[in-house]
Order: sequence, then structure tokens, then C-alpha cells
Amino acid sequence: MSHEVTNPPPPRPLIGRERLAGLCLVAFGLFALYASADLPFFTEGGVGSGLLPRALSVLIILLGIVQLAICWREPPESTGSWPIRDMVPVLVGIFLFALTIRGFDFGSFKIPVLGMAVATPLAIFCSGMAAKDARLVELLIFTVVLSALCIALFRFALGLSLPVAPWLIGY
Amino acid sequence: MMDMLYNLGLGFAVALTLKNVFFCFVGCLIGTLVGVLPGVGPVATISILLPVTLALDPTGALIMLAGIYYGAQYGGSTTAILVNIPGEATAVVTAIDGHEMAKRGQAGLALGLAAIGSFIAGTFATIVIAALGVPMTKLGLLFGPAEYFSLMVMGLVFAVVLAHGSLTKAVAMILVGVLLSCVGADMETGRERMTFGLHMLTDGIEFVVLAMGVFGFGEIFKNLADPEKRDLVKGSIGRLWPSLRDLRENMGAILRGTGIGAVLGVLPGNGAILGPFASYAMEKRLSKRPQDFGTGVSQAVAGPESANNAGAQTSFIPLMTLGLPPNAVMALMVGAMMIQGIVPGPQVIERNPELFWGLIASMWIGNLMLVIINLPLIGLWVKLLQVPYRLLFPAIVAFCCIGLFSISNEPAQVMMAGAMGLVGFALWKLQFEAAPLALGFVLGRLLEEKLRQALIISDGSMTTFVTSPLSAFLLAIGAVALLVAVLPSIRKSRDDVFKDA
Repeated sequence: MSHEVTNPPPPRPLIGRERLAGLCLVAFGLFALYASADLPFFTEGGVGSGLLPRALSVLIILLGIVQLAICWREPPESTGSWPIRDMVPVLVGIFLFALTIRGFDFGSFKIPVLGMAVATPLAIFCSGMAAKDARLVELLIFTVVLSALCIALFRFALGLSLPVAPWLIGY
Repeated sequence: MMDMLYNLGLGFAVALTLKNVFFCFVGCLIGTLVGVLPGVGPVATISILLPVTLALDPTGALIMLAGIYYGAQYGGSTTAILVNIPGEATAVVTAIDGHEMAKRGQAGLALGLAAIGSFIAGTFATIVIAALGVPMTKLGLLFGPAEYFSLMVMGLVFAVVLAHGSLTKAVAMILVGVLLSCVGADMETGRERMTFGLHMLTDGIEFVVLAMGVFGFGEIFKNLADPEKRDLVKGSIGRLWPSLRDLRENMGAILRGTGIGAVLGVLPGNGAILGPFASYAMEKRLSKRPQDFGTGVSQAVAGPESANNAGAQTSFIPLMTLGLPPNAVMALMVGAMMIQGIVPGPQVIERNPELFWGLIASMWIGNLMLVIINLPLIGLWVKLLQVPYRLLFPAIVAFCCIGLFSISNEPAQVMMAGAMGLVGFALWKLQFEAAPLALGFVLGRLLEEKLRQALIISDGSMTTFVTSPLSAFLLAIGAVALLVAVLPSIRKSRDDVFKDA
């Protein structure tokens, strides 16, 4: 193709933002109703633990229906793009931090307690890769500097008992 | 009157110790430092910086948090004026005319007026809090479970009425928030609710996890999907100190803004958010040249900024006297107080008078400090604003992760916050507001507790909420407010207030 379409016309959305919002409310309400199904409504002592959750679930479903009714006739509005792929590096960074900061036991294999010295740079570097204009060298330098600062600030200046690098320095 | 002076004296004696002045200073400084970062509002700032205060004594921690809060607010205004990126709803108004002024080389004047207006508003609001503190606490002691329940319902109704956009969605968000607060062990029977046997849900969802996920990570996802246009003002900032003439021209706006903000801030249900909008609308109406609004009118910065700060401060009143957080920021303060072992409510003033009055006195000191540190440091803030987003958000991710882990010591909470970030992004895409969700979540547990207590006292009779006159009165106000909000004509003018700005 010789010429690129710079601005493709947005595809006509099937459901539209407002209807999707209504559907989400209904779905969430149904899910909550299912989740609280085994809780007692009333007990001898008065209100049971299920009263409020189930009443709220029903109200949320009703509101979802109201929302659907309000926007039913209006033309659907697009929700725009959902660039989930751009967010994956950030999520990976967060998960790696969680997995390494205090170690994790998967059963078959274990991640040892790697501490802040590993978890922080992982979080910074991985999430930094999410930027479209990420520059590798700059990000690497930034990662090292910021990690050191974080350890200095949280562990030493503020004295929070976070593991720094037990495999290297013992705490 | 004498009591008030005596109490304020006690407060200043506490707040003016070298240690507490230092905490206040550090709080203001780091609060501004983080608050200035584009796209980081006060809620995110406080959640990120919460762990910093963990090691302090309760009074010091609260003073520092209050400092962080004001700093974050002021930092947000700075960003709004210089880069046209409001970090939160209340700074939206400041951005309109403030940024226009900045483009004309009057950034300094806008910042100076914002600082002075905030200081005047802060001084006035401090007096209001000191005066209302004791009577409100006495009122709080009259409240039984039924009255508390009704008050919270009224507050939530106000939160709906004051939210932007669709009423249905705002109500739904509050209910979802309350529902989420039900997750975890039942407070009476200890029975697990809606936890799906997941260990990390046994104690319920932590508010900090929700807040950092939705407001911290969610904001990052939002910015990645929709890169903000950073329109940093180049060229000169101009002089910072307004001339006597500027002051004279803006004093009316500042005082009116202070009054409006202080009154609205006391409302349960995030009235503070309305302050800047109302002030902007009022200044526009009073102005001889309303058509100039939006092109850089100084009153349109001075008034809303004063209203913003006054409201930010008086919203402490329902928290400190009744134990009810009126907005997400105050909800975080509750979280911080709980960590320190203080249960907010009418008993605080009795049991920890030095904490209560020290906090109030430090509010004023914090405001003074903001004027002193922010204006000279403006060059530093401008430098910070030049940090590209590609480096900014990894830093925010790291701070959030470390903060989450240090509060709970539980890696699963960090993951949950990440997932909450996706939820926050989806909410933004579907144009649900996250603020009512946070408020419903915070009040949810208290709401259920009071509901149950009230029903136990009344032997299961629901009429207890209308037979108590105070409770019936509060519910009636809520009903009227809701009714008024649904009426088409009023609804339109409500939209106008927000649209105007």
C-alpha cells in the first residue's frame, strides 16, 4: 500500500460506552449476588451478614437496568481504544516486585527473598519499558539511581523494616 | 471564646515544638514535591507518602500528613497553572484562567495570588475549625447508631448530588464501594464473606490498596493509553509577589472564595469539591467583564484557589469531630490514624487534646510554610515539571509498590493493587467516577456497623431511623437533596456550575 490512512474512521461500536456501563453493573451485581448467596439474611441476633451485601447487589443490578434503559435509544458512543498491551509491562513490573520482595513459594519451585535490591529495579525497569518513547540506556541509568535512592530513603532514612538484599548483606 | 484561645494556645504549644515544625515542613515539602508531578493528585500523593509517616509518633505523623495534604494541593495548583494538567477535580478550575495567565507571562502573579489566597483561606478556616471543634464534638456525642447511620446516608447522597456527570452512575459507584467494603470477615460473627477462600481477602480489602490501585496505578494506565499533552509554559514566570493594586483587586475574590469554600467543605460527602466551581461561577457573575473569564482573569484564580484551600481544611471538621471522612483524602487520613492506633471521632478531642489542637495549629503553620517555601522554590518545581513522563511513571510505580508492601508486609496486596489499577482504567473508560466509589468504600464498614447496632437496639425494627427526630431530620435533608438533584431544572443548573468552569 502506498498511502497510509492516518485517521481511520472509528468503527461503529456494537454496544457503546453507556450500554456497556449498564451491562457491567448488572454483571457485577449478579456476581456479587452469587458470591454472597451462602450468607444468612437474618440471624437470631438481628441482621445477618448477608443482608447488606445482597440488598446492595440487587440495587446495583437495578441501577444497571436503569442505566441501560436511559441510554437504550441513544446512538452508541465508542469507548476509544483499549491499549491493554501498553499496560502489560507495568503490570509485569508490579507482579515481579511482589514476587521477589519477600520471595514466593509456588510449591514446585521457590523464589528466594530477593529484597528491595532486586524487586525495585525490576519494577522500575519493566514498567519503564511501557513508554512508547522508552530509551534503554537512559532507563537503565535511571533504574540504578532511583533504586539506590529508594533503598536509602525507605530502609535507612525512614527505618522501615524492608528486606534489602538478604542474599548479599544478610538483611 | 476564652476556651477557644486556650485550646489554640495548647495546640500551638504542641505544634511549635522544633520536632513538629520540622515534620510539618518536611510534609509540606515532599507533599509539594510529589503533588507537582503531573497526573498525581492529592489522593495518590498521600497514598504514596503514607509509609513515610509510619515511623513517627501519632501527633507527628498526623501533622506531617496534613502538611503533605496541603503541599499536594498546592503542588497540584502549580501544575495546573504551569502545565495545564489539573491533578484532581478541584484544580480544574484553576487551570482555566491560571494557565492563560501563565501563557501571558503572568505565571508568577497567578502562583503568588494562589499562595496568598490559600494562606488567607487557611487562616480563616483554622479559626472556623477551632470554633466549631468543641460544639461539633458535643453534637457528635448526642449521636446514637441510628443517627450516625442517617448522617452517613445523607453524606453519601450529597456525594452523589455533587458528583459530575450521570446520577445513576454515581449512585452505582457508591453502592459498589459499600459492597466492596463488605468483603472479608464479618465484624460480628467473624464469618468470611465473599472472599472465595482467598487468604488475602480475609481481612477485607485495604483502603490503601484500593486507593493506590485505582488512583495511582489507574492514573498511569490512563496516561499510557491517552498521553497527556504537556503544555509547559516557556519563557518568564514573571514576578511572584502581587502588587498592592493586584491585592486590592483580588481581595474580594479571595474573601468570597474563602467563605464559600469553608462552608461547603464542612458538608459530608465531599462538598469541598464544589467550592472552586461555585467560587468561579460567583466571580464570573459579579465581574464587570464576565466575557473575559477563561482568558486569564486573576480573580478566577484567586477566588477558586482560596475556596479550594478553605474547603480542604474545613473538611477535617466532620472527620475529627464525628469520625466521618467526607472525601477520599480524609478517608486516607482515617487509614493513617488507624495505623497509629487512633480511632477518629468525638472521643479524640477528650482523650488526645494535644493531638487534636496540635493538628489544628499545625494547619495554620503548614499554610504559612507553603507561602514561605513554595514561592522561593518555584524554580525547582518548574525543573520537576520538565521530567519526561517516561521516567516519571516508573518512579511512581516503584514508590507505590514499596509503599504498599511496607504497609501490609504482604506481596499479594501489591498484586491486588495492580489489578485494581486495571479496574480504575476500566472505570475511566466507562466514565464512572472513582471518588464516590472510594467514599462508599470508606463509609461502608461504619455504615453496616451502625445499621446493625441500631437494629439491635430497636429490636429489629426499621422504624428506629424515622422515630428518632435527629435521624429523621438528617434523612429528610438527604431525601430533599436527592429529589432536588433529580428535578430537571435544577439538574441543568447543577451541570452549568460545572460546565461554566
